[in-house]
Amino acid sequence: MKPEKKLIRYTDYELEDFLGDEFFIDWVKNPNVDNSHFWDIWLQKNPEKRTLILSAANIIRSITYAPLPQLSEHEYLDIFEKIIKEPARSSKAKMGSWFYKFFELIPPTKIAACFLICFVAWVTIEVYWIGVPEEETPVLAEEWIEKSTPIGVKSTFFLSDGSTITLNSESKIRFPKNFDQVKRTVEIEGEAFFEVKKENRPFIVQSGNTKIQVLGTSFNVNKKTNEPLYVALVTGKVSVDTHNGSRMTLEPNEMLVLEDSGSFRKTGFDSKDVIGWKDKFLVFKSSKLPEIKERLEQWYGVQIELKGKFDENWTYSGVYKDEILENVLRGICMTSGMNYKINDKKITLTNPKKHENS
Amino acid sequence: MNNKPQSINQEAVMIRHQEVIQIFQHKSDAEVWAAFNLGDERAFNYLYRLYTPILYRYGLGFCGDDNLVKDGIQNLFIYLRAKRGNLSEIRSIKAYLFRSLQNEIFRGLKGQNSSVHFDSLEHCFQIEYSPETRYIAREDEEIEQSKFNQLLSNLTRRQRQAILLLYEENLTYKEIAEVLELNDTKSARKLVYRALAALKDILIFRIKK
Repeated sequence: MKPEKKLIRYTDYELEDFLGDEFFIDWVKNPNVDNSHFWDIWLQKNPEKRTLILSAANIIRSITYAPLPQLSEHEYLDIFEKIIKEPARSSKAKMGSWFYKFFELIPPTKIAACFLICFVAWVTIEVYWIGVPEEETPVLAEEWIEKSTPIGVKSTFFLSDGSTITLNSESKIRFPKNFDQVKRTVEIEGEAFFEVKKENRPFIVQSGNTKIQVLGTSFNVNKKTNEPLYVALVTGKVSVDTHNGSRMTLEPNEMLVLEDSGSFRKTGFDSKDVIGWKDKFLVFKSSKLPEIKERLEQWYGVQIELKGKFDENWTYSGVYKDEILENVLRGICMTSGMNYKINDKKITLTNPKKHENS
Repeated sequence: MNNKPQSINQEAVMIRHQEVIQIFQHKSDAEVWAAFNLGDERAFNYLYRLYTPILYRYGLGFCGDDNLVKDGIQNLFIYLRAKRGNLSEIRSIKAYLFRSLQNEIFRGLKGQNSSVHFDSLEHCFQIEYSPETRYIAREDEEIEQSKFNQLLSNLTRRQRQAILLLYEENLTYKEIAEVLELNDTKSARKLVYRALAALKDILIFRIKK
């Protein structure tokens, strides 16, 4: 390894050379138009280096501080207050003008009393003379909009800031008609896909006691009763704050699985499987019958009845795009040997085979 | 390297601090610093909002005493505000603040115990290797991870510190030299390369798999 020789080309780089290269590290940690342009082309030209590059990037991303506590909001504010109040104390002594000397002659309690009298007088005048103004600041009366989708229906909503939310069936969102000046807050129950318009106000998705915070990204949130919360990130960056105070950040293609108990894990995810629903992809991936039943009921807003005995180990995989229910049922039944019957919103699935352990 | 902290931390309480991000986020360090020096309170709010959380983390890496770190941050900002109007120009705010906080912490440590030595801080800046993209918890991967962590803890404090500054804080070698009070960029580079050389064996092992 020769750190001094500037002339080593990237094509001759060993792993440790990449690990120590500022330009490479910058791309791994802060990809932007400028550095990505170079590395994308370089990777195309040197496909055999892809494994090396990915390993180096993975190592760089994986080395962090050993876990440390974060500064709490309370401490953050406390330090800030102490800092901004400090000069007031010291400059008073330094200035020593007649103004301060004048006040120093009067005991603080008297100054306080004087202010109190002035305040009471002002309130009295305000209330009894002028009268209480009828309408107080309208800012406080925030108007919230609530949208929900029934079973079998998906909807897309456009928010005032340009973000869009695609709401899966049997889900609910609440958001203010106009976001306030500092943040954009949306509450959700069920499943939704968010495409957040990038701007300076943070976008906060509240699901139960968990807060998902982003600036501009696209991601999927799914929380059903008695099931973990799933947050799957497609682009950008999100951070998730749980009710017990931990914070996790997600990179694209990572999914956070947060149990109600507070335990969590990160995994990768199959994007068609997790977010395909918003593009009308109905995906089954080694799905068992109860899951298939539930998915179909939710997707098409129907009721499915199972008749007969079914093999518990049977699974089904398949992808349908914007397909009518009958075609999906036909597909499933073709591989499983089951029969289906559609009677308006009631579906019956029967298994004619007697042997359940086939 | 862009080492501006990407601050999306905390929330409603920092109402005032949120607005200042808009004003300053596309300005260079030198411009922000100049505004602060001129007494622009928004520039101070911006610095405080952006750098306090990472100064806290960095300080805690240095010494486990969080009160000392909090006092250090407080004193640092009080000092900087008092000196407004006479502050010298700086190129990298982050490197400057890190070095200053370090000095504050040393001063605090000395106040507690006059015999504090750099040597006694050898255990500081613990590093962790925790791959984010572990799809399956494979046993050999776990063994490898603990081996790697062992190697990391065998590095010297300054090597670990340099690696954290490079990877986690995204400082350039020039800035690392400034924080670690090294003579030149070359020494900072050497420090990192030596650390990487010590990790080399296990790194090669990774690639081969």
